[in-house]
Formats: sequence, structure tokens, C-alpha cells
Amino acid sequence: MGPAKNPDKSALNSGQLFGLWEQKLAGPLFTRVAAIAFVVFTAAACGSDPARSTPPAANGAPARGGELIASLRSEPATYNRYIPAGANTAVEVVSILTHARLVRVNRATDELEPWIAEGWSPAADGVTYTLTLRDGVKFSDGQPLTVDDVLFSFRVAYDPSVQSGLAVTLQVNGKPLQVAKVNDRTMTIRLPEPFAPGMRLLDNLPILPKHKLEAALDAKTFGEAWSPSKPLTDIAGLGPFILTEHVTGQRMVFSRNPHYFRRDAAGVQLPYLDKLTVAIVPDQNTEALRLEAAEIDLMSNADIRPQDHAAFRKLAEQGRLKMTEVGIGLDPDFLAFNLGAGAAKRPSAWLARKEVRQAISCGVDRQAIVNTVYLGAAVPIFGGVTPGNKRWYAEVPPCAANLAKARQLLASAGMTDRNGDGLLETANGTPARFSVLTQGGHLRERVASVLQQQLRPLGITLDVVPLDVRGMFARWQKGDYEAIYFGLAASSTDPALNPDFWLSSGAMHFWNPGQKAPATPWEGRLDTLMRQQAAASTLEDRQRTFAEMQRILGDELPLIYFVAPKVTLATTTKVLGAAPALQIPHLLWSADTLAAAPARQ
Amino acid sequence: MRSGLLRFVVRRLLFAALLVFIVSSGSLLLVDAAPGDHFSSFDLDAATVAAERHRLGLDRPILVRYGTWLARAARFDFGESMKYRRPVAQLVLERAPKTALLGVVALALATLAGVPMGIFTGSRRNLIASAARMLSIVVVSVPSLVTSFGLLFIAARTGWLPVGGFASARDLIIPAIALALPIAATLERLQSEALSGALAEPSVRAALARGCSPRRAIWRHAFRLSLAPVLAIYGAIVGTVLSGSFAVEIVTSWPGLGALMYDALVSRDLFLVAGCAGAGAVFLAFGTLASDLALAVVDPRISEAAS
Repeated sequence: MGPAKNPDKSALNSGQLFGLWEQKLAGPLFTRVAAIAFVVFTAAACGSDPARSTPPAANGAPARGGELIASLRSEPATYNRYIPAGANTAVEVVSILTHARLVRVNRATDELEPWIAEGWSPAADGVTYTLTLRDGVKFSDGQPLTVDDVLFSFRVAYDPSVQSGLAVTLQVNGKPLQVAKVNDRTMTIRLPEPFAPGMRLLDNLPILPKHKLEAALDAKTFGEAWSPSKPLTDIAGLGPFILTEHVTGQRMVFSRNPHYFRRDAAGVQLPYLDKLTVAIVPDQNTEALRLEAAEIDLMSNADIRPQDHAAFRKLAEQGRLKMTEVGIGLDPDFLAFNLGAGAAKRPSAWLARKEVRQAISCGVDRQAIVNTVYLGAAVPIFGGVTPGNKRWYAEVPPCAANLAKARQLLASAGMTDRNGDGLLETANGTPARFSVLTQGGHLRERVASVLQQQLRPLGITLDVVPLDVRGMFARWQKGDYEAIYFGLAASSTDPALNPDFWLSSGAMHFWNPGQKAPATPWEGRLDTLMRQQAAASTLEDRQRTFAEMQRILGDELPLIYFVAPKVTLATTTKVLGAAPALQIPHLLWSADTLAAAPARQ
Repeated sequence: MRSGLLRFVVRRLLFAALLVFIVSSGSLLLVDAAPGDHFSSFDLDAATVAAERHRLGLDRPILVRYGTWLARAARFDFGESMKYRRPVAQLVLERAPKTALLGVVALALATLAGVPMGIFTGSRRNLIASAARMLSIVVVSVPSLVTSFGLLFIAARTGWLPVGGFASARDLIIPAIALALPIAATLERLQSEALSGALAEPSVRAALARGCSPRRAIWRHAFRLSLAPVLAIYGAIVGTVLSGSFAVEIVTSWPGLGALMYDALVSRDLFLVAGCAGAGAVFLAFGTLASDLALAVVDPRISEAAS
């Protein structure tokens, strides 16, 4: 899947910073220091009615009560997911724990499930859906949920004064949805045009309490509502937990929401946990050590780093931790070339030739990156949709570690060694040299260094420029770069929900964003196919169309993908009922079914 | 003499104000000059970014922004944190006491361990003293960051101590030791050298010649003489504590000023960076002042010069 928007994956965190320090300062010591074990999770299978969940305890008895401690590397500056400051992972975690959506994409199965809406039915026109809310659902302050709250949530999302990032995710082809009330429990949603993902659009929309926030919206002070400087009792939600304490820089404490709507198969009200504490642990090494010492039970957004695998496995074998390999990650890093209008004037304009990019792709030994940087915890890939995205993955013709073919392609692009110095030049004598911006102190920097070594025998010089993410973004935004090695998290596994990446007009059409008209015929073709698959009526049609889009991208290579890391998670043995997912938050997305094992006597 | 000391303190306070002004202004301008800003993010759309930049005045020229900030800072309003959306002063005041607590405990530990050890190594020429000197040199050369990781590793493996965080007094042990160790080693080296020098002073030699016991010569005469060079750099050590706590706080999840400063730098939170840097400068200025006053007490020549 193409990259879209998701914050903290791209943010430089202290773990990444110290990851670099660790290599420079102490090497093997820190490889050991960061080691932590893994666990096999007990997957909580959702029943046919997601409002009924299978209890986690092996004996079938629900294990209600207890407490778990999760870690998070950043902390929220607001509890309000709708405002611009709410567009980050920490706020998303708070939102998942304290709020609920009309529908939910089950992150473990990738299926759409009814959530606070008990169901939906499409009308014959193919664009109108009727949704019915569950009966008796209440906010955490005891106020009943009605359709008015849902309509209010849409109003907030679309209100220009709120500047909500959610507005874009609630549009089809740039046009908003139309919502209307039928009665207190029933409403209709009308899409502006046929759109295959349908109600998947609503997975992003936490439902807000109108009675708490309407006054703030009317007074244009919505952005200040639910901020850490306001009382936590102002917040009311439909999620499994209530935020009861936030000590800045230390922890957030979530207590059970007594009005939560979900029950397990035995009729026990969820969540199982009495309390969930989220400890703020900025450093990734410390986070791992705290898990090892069982001071935290799970890491909210962190899978295990490649360098930690061996030592963690050892701890898992000792029974000190549980670990699970969830699968191949959905969001691989990529080498992106600047194919924007200004790029043609640069000395690296030769990168605009498709044959050159194909040669770079062919010239790289992906398995060497898997072995040296990821220590085996990754797989070679040739396109942006990884095998982890089972529904949408299509094979792209591979070409790797083939220096002969790479040289042939470079020669066909007029790149030869004209002065006998072992390096290639273009027809006008410009050396084959370009710079790659990448995230300093991150694995990406090491991959970029491997690329530098591997392209040298082809006669191409690559200069690695490590930057922090904000500096890199500023250069990307100005088009002031030749290439970038980076990665972004897709907002959805469904390609139709990532138009910003695939459409030439999209803001995240990474190599040449925001085009008024497609700059190349193949981008025009991508636009057409994107619209076709988004409107197609059957999944098979959509998959066929999207496979063609992947092949076009795999042939033109504005972005080159090399490897996709495997996602492996670890928890203490205390954690039960986890449903690990490839997307973040890997475990807390289903926090209501998490349970704590009773302490051993 | 008392008015001379007062003038000295007033001069130092004025110097502290100047230091705070220079450090906070400099950090604000430097962070502003770096590529990108708080809203340089792949996660926000252009319209939202433009609106937020306008709301915070980031779309105005740097000199205008700096002037506005300066005018507000003069009224002790240090602006609003872009990340936390809270007043900078509130955030800094929340975190500074925790850094101060960590610093004071670390300094106390370092002093209690480093000074006696320096007296021991400075007055003895045996194998144990040589080993202690070697140990100090090793500890001085290991950064606090590495010490922190080492201690956390031991804590995680043994379960003796909590691995980071700030929930009880026990959580103070690892960061305080990590911070104190290099300072203790530095103090040991300084005290040792200073005491060796003092023992060679004619006054101490004369005392010994008069039949004064070595123990009395060390504690009564040489120790007091040797304190001056140690106290003279105590102010600088306060600076070391602050810069050292930057890394230690992050590694041990200590919710102090260092961790906040790091957070502010990473998120390009302009006003928060300036606030944290200014608070650090306040610590440094007061540390220097305290060491100068202690020095004046120990060495009468200082107070005479001041008067």
C-alpha cells in the first residue's frame, strides 16, 4: 500500500537517536542491553457479533479485574483527536482507549465490523447507507448516545474552524459525505459517488458527546477543549476506558468505563481490566529493559528491533516473556526520487530516466540488506504492497542483484564511464552522483549506507545525508532534494483510502505531489485505474485493477522498495487476550479484550 | 565588607539575568534557523499547517517574532508550547523541581564520595590509592549515558531497583548514581591534586615540623587550603550536572527539564526550547553564585577583593 498519513512512525524518537549513540559508543554492550524476550499471544477471536467477545482465560471463565501497564514513547498534547495537534500516535492511542467508532476495521482480520452501529444496509442506489445504533449505548458520563451525537461528530470534522485532519479521510474524491437523522437510533449516510470501501470510511471517526462539546464548537474554542490544562472530567467517551490521571512526562492512567457497551460471549461486560496504565518511556532501550524487568507488560507501538531478536528469544525460552511474530510489516521504507518539475534542472536530472531507476533496483542485493541490517528479520520486496497485506498484494516482476542487467540498462540510458575513472557519466559529462536524505540514527541510515556500497560497483556515487524528520520534510516540501530514503505508514490497507498517494494530484504523491494534470502518461493511467478500482463493484475487479497499478509502479519505479521488516511483538506472561495486529497500536487497538493473568501464588 | 559582598551578589544576579537572556534568545534563534519547524510533518495537510502557522505567528519575519517573544518574556510570559499547547512557564515550573532534585541528590552523592576519596588518594601513596585513582580516571571517561544504560541493565536483570520512571523515591537511585559517578570521579581527581599541593605548602610542612600529627595536618591545615580550587569549579560542575542530566533523564524516563528540552528540540517547539534553555541558565547562574559564595567563605582573600 502506498504511504499515506500516520505520524509517529516518521518522527525521530529518542530510541532511534540513542540507537545510533549505542552503536557509536558501546556496540556489543547495547546489543545485549536492549535484549528482551517474546511471547505467543492468545488471540481473542471475535464472535459473529463483535459486541460479544470470546473470553481470554483458557478455562473459559472471564478474567475480569487486574491491571496492565503499557508503554508509549511520546505523550499526547491534547486528548482531542479532531484537532491538528491530535494527528499523532499518542492521541490516537488515547482516542482508541476512550472513544468508539460507528464501525471498526478489525486490525487482526482486516474485516469491517459493526461497532456502536449494530449494522448498516446499502440502498439500491449504491451510495446511500442506513445505519442503526445499538440500543442503550451510553457515554462514560452516563448520557445516552443518540444520532445527534453522530451528526455532531461529522459537523466537527467538517467545520473549517477546527481544521481537522479527519475531514480529508471522510471525503470521496474530495467531496464530503451527507449525513441525515431518521430517528434517535437511525441515520443515513450518502456518499457523493459510488465508493467501494463504503463504510470503512467511518473507522477513523471517534463519536463525540454533543452535550459536552457543542458550546465549545459554537464559541470557536473547540481547539482548546479536552486539553491537558482542563479537568479530565470534561472528557466523556464511548470507549472501554476513562482517562483518570495524566502526570506529564510520566504516565496516563485509564480506568474501566462502567457504561461501555461491549460484553463477552459469556455476557460479562468489557473491558476485562480494571485499570490500564500507559507509562511514558521516551527511550526505546529503556522501554525494552522495563519490559524485561516486567515493569511494563507491553509496548504500545513498538515491535522488536532486529538487533534485539536473539536475546529476546532467549528470555522467551526462559519463560520470562511471551513473543509472537505477527507477520510481514505493511509499510516498507522506500528510495524515492525527485521527479518534480524543478528536478529537471538539477545535475541529477539523469535520475528521471526510467532505465536508470530500474538499473538501481536491479543492482541492489536485497538479501544482503535483510542479512546485514535486519539480521534476517525482514524479507526482500519489489513493490510497496507487501505480502503482509494479503487482500491487496500482487507480485511485481523482481530484478535484484543482477549487475549485468543493471549495467545494460545504464548503458541504454547513455550512462557510461567516459573518462576511465570507474564512475559513470552522462552524455554531457555529468557524473552519476546523487544525494539521499534519510533519517539520522535510524535503521534507514544503515540501509542507505548499504545502498551506497552496492551502487559503487555500478559506477554510481551516492551521498548519504542524515537529517531529522522535520528537516527532511522541509527539504521534501520545497522539492530541494534528489532522493529520499524514508517510510510512511498507510492509513488503511485498502488502496481506495489512500488516494493522496496514488493520484497525481495527491499531496502525498511522494515523487511529484500536487500535480494539476498528470505529468506523465503512466501517472495518468494510475489516476484512471485508481478511480476505476475505487468505484468497482466487486472485490475481484478491484484486486485486478490494483494489481495493474502495482505493476505500473514496479516498472516505472519512482519509488524503489527493497525490504519489508517482520513485525514481532513481546509482552509479559501476565498479558492475556491480546489480538496482535500489524498496524499500530499493535495490541491496544483491541484493549477491551486484554486481560491480566492472576498473580502466581 | 558586608556591602562589598552585597555588591558582589547583585553583580552576579545581573550577570545571571544576562546569561538567561543570551542563552534563551540564542537557543530560540538557532532552533528557528534550523530547516523545518514544528509543523514540518508528513502528517498534516497544507491548509491546516498554514492556519496553525498563522495562529502562532510563525509566518511573520524572524525579527518580528523574536521582538514579540522578547516583549512578552520581559513580562514573564514565555509563550505557549506548540506541542503541549500549554504555557511554557507552567511546563518548565512543573519539570524544573524534578531536575533540581536529581541534581542536588547527585551532587550530594558525588561530593560525599568524591571529596573523601580525593583526600585519601591525595594523602597516600599506596596500592589502594593508585587503584582508586585509576578507577576515577575510568569513571570520568565513561559518559553518563553509558553509565545509565549499564545501571538499567543491571536493574532489569537483578530486579533490585526499578528500571526508570518516577513513581517513588527508589526511582531516584539509578539516575542519581549515573549522574553522580563522573562528578564524584572529577571531584576525587581535583581534591586529590589540590590536597597533594596543599601538603607541600610551607605552612603545612611547618605544622608537621612543629610535631603536628599527619592526620591533624591534613584535616586542620591542608584540607582547608585544598578546598579553594575544588569550590572554584563547583559552579562549572553544576553545569555538568545539567548537561549530564539531559541524557540521563531521557534514558531513565526521569520527567525533568532535560527530557522536556529534548522533546522540545525534536519537535522544534521554539518557545519551549527557549524556556528550557533559560531555566538551565538559571540553574547554572545560581550554581556559580553558590560556589562563589562558598569560596568567599573558605578563602578570605575573595571577600576582601569583593569588598
